[in-house]
Amino acid sequence: MRRILGGIGGALVFPMIAILIAFAIGAVIILATGNNPAAAYAALAKGAFGNPAAIGRTIVNTTPLIFTGLAVAVAFRTGLFNIGGEGQFYMGAIAAAFLGVSLGFLGFAAIPLVLIGCVLAGFLWGSLPGILKAYFGAHEVITTIMLNFIAIFLTAYLTRVPLAREGPIPGTEPVEAAIRIPLLGLGLGRANLGIMIALLAALVAYLLLWRTRRGFELRAVGLSPGAANYAGMGIGKNTVLALAIGGAFAGVGGGVEVLGVYGNMDLPFVRNIGFNGIGVALLGRNHPVGVVLGALLFGALASGAQQMQFDTQVPLDLASVLLAVILLFVTATKIVELILGKRARELVSGTRLERGLGS
Amino acid sequence: MSEEQSNTGATGTAESPVVLEMRNVTKTFGPVKANDDISLALHRGEILGLLGENGAGKSTLMKILYGLYKPDSGTIVVDGETANIRDPKDAVSRGIGMVHQHFTLIPRLTVAENIVLGAEPRKNGTLDMNRAIRETEALCERYGLRVDPRARVANISVGVQQRVEILKTLYRDARILVLDEPTAVLTPQETEDLFSVLKELVADGLSIILITHKLGELLGVSDEITIIRDGKVVDTVKTAETDEGALARLMVGREVLLSVERDAVETGEPRLVAENLVVHSSTDAEAVRSVDLEVRAGEILGIAGVDGNGQVELAEALAGTRPVKSGTVYLDGEDVTKLGSAARQGRGLAYVPEDRSHKGLVQDFTLSENNALKTYDDPLFSKWMFILPKAMRRKAAENLEAYDVRPPDPDARAGSLSGGNQQKAILARELSGDPGVVIAAQPTRGVDVGAIEFIHRQLLEQRAQGKAILLISLELEEVRSLSDRILVIYDGKIVGDMPAAEASDEKLGLLMAGRGTDNEEESA
Amino acid sequence: MEDFFGSIGPILAATIRNATPLVFAALGGMFSERSGVVNIGLEGLMLISAFAGVVGAFLSGSAWIGLLFAVGAGLTFGLVHAVMCVTFEADQIISGTAINLLALGGTGFLMVIVFNQGGTSPDVEKFSPVAIPLLSQIPVIGQALFDQSLLVYLMYAMVPITFFVLFRTPFGLRLRATGEVPEAVDTAGVSVTRMRYFGVALSGMLAALGGVYLSMGILSSFSENMTGGRGFIALAALIFGRWHPIGAAGAALLFGFAQALTIRVPPEAVPNEFIQMIPYILTIVVLAGFGGRAIAPAAVGKPYRKE
Repeated sequence: MRRILGGIGGALVFPMIAILIAFAIGAVIILATGNNPAAAYAALAKGAFGNPAAIGRTIVNTTPLIFTGLAVAVAFRTGLFNIGGEGQFYMGAIAAAFLGVSLGFLGFAAIPLVLIGCVLAGFLWGSLPGILKAYFGAHEVITTIMLNFIAIFLTAYLTRVPLAREGPIPGTEPVEAAIRIPLLGLGLGRANLGIMIALLAALVAYLLLWRTRRGFELRAVGLSPGAANYAGMGIGKNTVLALAIGGAFAGVGGGVEVLGVYGNMDLPFVRNIGFNGIGVALLGRNHPVGVVLGALLFGALASGAQQMQFDTQVPLDLASVLLAVILLFVTATKIVELILGKRARELVSGTRLERGLGS
Repeated sequence: MSEEQSNTGATGTAESPVVLEMRNVTKTFGPVKANDDISLALHRGEILGLLGENGAGKSTLMKILYGLYKPDSGTIVVDGETANIRDPKDAVSRGIGMVHQHFTLIPRLTVAENIVLGAEPRKNGTLDMNRAIRETEALCERYGLRVDPRARVANISVGVQQRVEILKTLYRDARILVLDEPTAVLTPQETEDLFSVLKELVADGLSIILITHKLGELLGVSDEITIIRDGKVVDTVKTAETDEGALARLMVGREVLLSVERDAVETGEPRLVAENLVVHSSTDAEAVRSVDLEVRAGEILGIAGVDGNGQVELAEALAGTRPVKSGTVYLDGEDVTKLGSAARQGRGLAYVPEDRSHKGLVQDFTLSENNALKTYDDPLFSKWMFILPKAMRRKAAENLEAYDVRPPDPDARAGSLSGGNQQKAILARELSGDPGVVIAAQPTRGVDVGAIEFIHRQLLEQRAQGKAILLISLELEEVRSLSDRILVIYDGKIVGDMPAAEASDEKLGLLMAGRGTDNEEESA
Repeated sequence: MEDFFGSIGPILAATIRNATPLVFAALGGMFSERSGVVNIGLEGLMLISAFAGVVGAFLSGSAWIGLLFAVGAGLTFGLVHAVMCVTFEADQIISGTAINLLALGGTGFLMVIVFNQGGTSPDVEKFSPVAIPLLSQIPVIGQALFDQSLLVYLMYAMVPITFFVLFRTPFGLRLRATGEVPEAVDTAGVSVTRMRYFGVALSGMLAALGGVYLSMGILSSFSENMTGGRGFIALAALIFGRWHPIGAAGAALLFGFAQALTIRVPPEAVPNEFIQMIPYILTIVVLAGFGGRAIAPAAVGKPYRKE
């Protein structure tokens, strides 16, 4: 029992320190703009959780981050850095925009089919850097960045030309109301059942990693490729699968966003959803439960920021700054070491990759 | 013989002035006293051997000398002056040069670039490469070191790379040279070349500390030997006044047990057979060349050889974790060449790899997960696509108990265990499945004496049960004392094959050096 | 045919304009990565500097002061990356990503604080084109190459300067060595930390020149996210150019040319989006073709820890 509690305590140390540093820096910035940090943060909290509409916005912001956070976490557990969440999310979204219209005749029953299509789109797009890494030795950090842009330009083209809606309004043809993911109601605004799908995805990720044979292999490859190879697990196969499965999580996230929030796809679609997924995953120490909590924090910051700007004249971009600072510090081993002593290095295991890009 | 060599080879005597003294040096890491009140003195023009087992504290002491560690207490005196050495820069400015066991060379740069790095000759602020090359050539000439300054380090042999490391220190005017286990990576010929270079250097007035755990080598080259055990200086002796047995006693602290109790076992059918096996290394060089071997039931077949002669590749090819270029592997008569490691495990092959940190165990997995590393998809531990952690934990607890792994806690992280216990955990996993064939590659590397005895007993126990065991080891003593039959591998080829009873150190040593009388190809 | 020759000049001029920020940032990335620190924060460094330049010019009325602000900002945030990666041993990729996000959020935040408006800043003094006598008279290409902003001429000079520093000075040798085998540099008595700080700081300053060219060379104002992925194209150019100054500059020119084409090629023939994908696709092809590992500095991305 003590070990479990110690483990959880250790797991929380890094994120908490990063969050505290970020909020402290944020407070200094707010002071510098001539505002009261306490008032600004209070407004932030109010904007995130103060009323049903605020909670609804937070849920809407949290949902996609859970998916892209999982996309990063699953790959990370396999020792891979998936910076391609953005592109995988876009590919899932464009698949939903396309399938949502072409399968529209099926009505409500189309939703699972569309989402399966999104899973496939993300899976295939994610498998590309996996294949490039496993069989051509191209580092996944670079290829996933490049594939993000390729996906964005590809969806831009598809949105602009073949899937464009009639008339002057840009974007793809909207899907039928019947195959939109149902809203949660309760005055939560645009918040929809997509959050349930996201939580289900987190559960699936947990079971996959810690309760299945595939997950056992993925984790073994991630922690020690040499030992995994020694034990007869295919490194190449697991590399491809890890990035592909990560892509599938991001892909279904894109689909949920289209079917749940917008009803179609238009560019700019969402910005930095993949990059923020990295922060979410690392804040959550690449554990599905942590990812959900990390996404909630990021989502709450994003939705609270508007209220903060409205109430205190602190520009809402402060939220993005806070997120960036959290990300900046969340892997900074040495800072925690300075605070907690050498023992800290053990705590960070599982949140960093020791490999370089050159080998 | 050793006496003669040390007298002619080195000019240093106890009467020469002391150039370096380390006085009462103590250094602790947590609860471990790595250096406990160590004192030693180095005279001008002498080669001082620093002898000790792995982990005795030699490297720590030298890292203190080179400013890489800060001692808890003690002083260093260079040329009669107390030297405060805080970093390698201070050490270099005091004329101390160090050749580390693992070279610190940059493969993509040239020899000359590597040598001048950090102390570059300049012309108007720019890098004067021509002068760097000239100066390198001059040094080479002076000490008879053949090295091409323009060659890329990636393209030169290990022996030449070591010369580059020595040149780096000479270029910085080192007068005291420390070599940490310099022969570990060298062939016997290269070792001899190195020693003649060292004698050249001391003849020129340099003083050398030679760190090693190979006592035989020291007898041939050193003037004095300081023996360290458990972080303390045990004794300092004149090389001329000692012998191998005496040194071994000082180093290990007891009479070395050279023989292991072995019962006679009837050998049976060949169980693991390799025919004409060719295997490539990770850099795609031919590492194993047309090897034939046969391991029979009830025997331990030992493979002796210097590190890096194809042992790793051979073991991996037999175990199925490395693809075979050509040739055939039979397991109990079945051709398993095309099968992967998982399939071979399923047919009763156990494999204790030479690298327990990066191959044998997933350090961040629990012992329970490690225990199931190969069998997680067996019906015992899995159902449909799921694994059964409880069953894994139960089985692990059983194994850990049986093989005396401490702590016997299935939830402990493998990386938290000592080397010996990690190795026992691997043995538990590999042997508990009742395999027919065991490949044990360096099973006792870097583990404590108690664990060595335990591991040796286990291997003999397997032999007594009629298993076929292939033992690959760099420790000649281990191969000799455990094996029924010994093969010698050199440059990827089997160059010797004899019953253990007929093997002597000298005979094996010559074969390991590629000087076998029955191997005419080598001389060509 | 006449139309063909007539369009060479404008296409070349557009190529140079597009390539200039890429060259600066790619050369910057090279200093960082050659020292062993991955810098995927080039995008953010450019964006922050583009903004800082405009602020400096806005406050002082002088483009030169703006340039000083920009380089100062690039240096500062380059040092942030260095502190995180080298001193605090944070993950280099993550630190770079954080800097990109910080730049996006930070410039958005400061737009409101400084200019009291989002979107686009007021106009400031810019580095207008300066025609070089004689050279700019060369037919067809003269005007394209030699009637450009001073920053473009600085870019021309920076390529050979970078080459010289990297391959002909002790500093360059040490920097290259640090990115390959930091242990060797350390044992040679050279501080790995220092070399990496230098490398990353230089990358910040060079990326700043790229950023300031965007906001005050081509335009004369800052607008949100105006780098629009150019930092990543520069990263692609660095890799495509195999971490070599000439190669990286060449790749940047090629990518600049591809961008120049997007205006020229009729969208019915080849959709714009596909031309814009070219740099990214080429980079993947190169990485896959060379097996990636063979060409990158060996220690890039690995934090260096003394025992």
